[in-house]
Amino acid sequence: MKLEGTHELDAPRERVYACLVNPEVLQRCIPGCERLEQTAENTFSATIKTGVGSIKGVFNGTARLEDLREPEHLRLVVDGKGAPGFLKGSGDLDLASTETGTKVAYTADVQVGGTIASVGQRMIQGTAKMMATQFFTSLGAEAKTAMGEPPPQHGFFRTALRWFSGWVRRLFRS
Amino acid sequence: MIPAQFDYKAPATLDEAVALLNSDLDGAKILAGGHSLIPAMKLRLAQPQLLVDIARIKSLAYIREEGDQILIGATTTHYQLESSDLLKQICPLLPECAKSIGDVQVRNRGTIGGSVAHLDPAGDWPAAVLALDADLVLVGPNGERTVKAENFFVDLLTTDLQPGEILREIRIKKPSGKFGHAYQKVPHPASGFAVVGVAVHLTLNDDGSCKSAGIGVTGVGVKAYRAKAVEAALAGTNLDDNAVGAGVAHVCDGIDPNSDLYASSDYRCHLAQVHTRRALQAAKARAQ
Repeated sequence: MKLEGTHELDAPRERVYACLVNPEVLQRCIPGCERLEQTAENTFSATIKTGVGSIKGVFNGTARLEDLREPEHLRLVVDGKGAPGFLKGSGDLDLASTETGTKVAYTADVQVGGTIASVGQRMIQGTAKMMATQFFTSLGAEAKTAMGEPPPQHGFFRTALRWFSGWVRRLFRS
Repeated sequence: MIPAQFDYKAPATLDEAVALLNSDLDGAKILAGGHSLIPAMKLRLAQPQLLVDIARIKSLAYIREEGDQILIGATTTHYQLESSDLLKQICPLLPECAKSIGDVQVRNRGTIGGSVAHLDPAGDWPAAVLALDADLVLVGPNGERTVKAENFFVDLLTTDLQPGEILREIRIKKPSGKFGHAYQKVPHPASGFAVVGVAVHLTLNDDGSCKSAGIGVTGVGVKAYRAKAVEAALAGTNLDDNAVGAGVAHVCDGIDPNSDLYASSDYRCHLAQVHTRRALQAAKARAQ
């Protein structure tokens, strides 16, 4: 399966690149990443507990960074498996400076197999897109925080809205 | 094909169900008809610790008229919606949509609330509730709130339901004036799920021109969506072939259509255009 997309991040290219090769930052940004350890130079071992809706699974795997050309390009090779199936593949990330920050373009070729591929085939692409968006949103926030700006609160609007609606409800009840 | 071990509780009331769900936010899961959850559990793609069965709460399955609204309980089955004489008269989109779901066994068990809360990218109900601009009533530990269907559907299999909340009711404004409904679907030959499904709620002015069109599309994107560009393009037109043709060209605007082994994204988008046109034409012919 081929995946591709672009994300605009609100931080300079050098910062984004530094975040992409920092295991601590990656652990915080990868949705559901419970463990990410460096096992050798540019090689990591990870445990990711992830899913969408009621479909959840734990995956164990390795990731390797290759073809590092700071600050414009890197290649990520992953290989993982868990109870719902396995996943392996590689992706290229290209970073370009823009007026407001950085544009990250990715293309990946991923093979997914096992139960999740045989029954969830029609949802794999959507899941991948959704997780990529979550990852790059967090990464953008991390890259900005690293520059000394306050971190944007995830889901700020929802929190505010819910607080407000709760307040209105209480107001009418009393 | 044997699920992991889980606990099962069948509360007698909705309040009890909310309490049970909130007793284990991480591990508890609501079971309604079980036609998406149970297969996922059998494949061990989902492994909830506790199932809270709300399908046995009798007071949660109903279809009734109240003022200018139609109220539908969350555990109302597809078959109950398909066979409702009331709905056939006042909101025929719902029975027509229900009829197209799965097979009779599925329709006897599966529920509208389950389908809407699960938000399968190819589920039929999300398209219909979007076309009808429904309100969804959610109940949680802090009381109730109402969300527009459009805002409820967030992303792939992801809704605005917060942990601990249960979808209780679907509220639809009773269609009035000169209106026509249609649901057009290309079912996947094996699963019956919508490769593309288009629900249309069309209202006409006295002169036969389009007053408003509600168009819900499922199967195309990662979640069902309202084809707002088409709705806007049609408003005020006389709905002739040219106007409809020009409108449906926008059905995939802003959407990145799904691609899988069965249908490429270009083919899906093409199907969406063809079936939106057919649904609009059928709805127009039925409008009276």
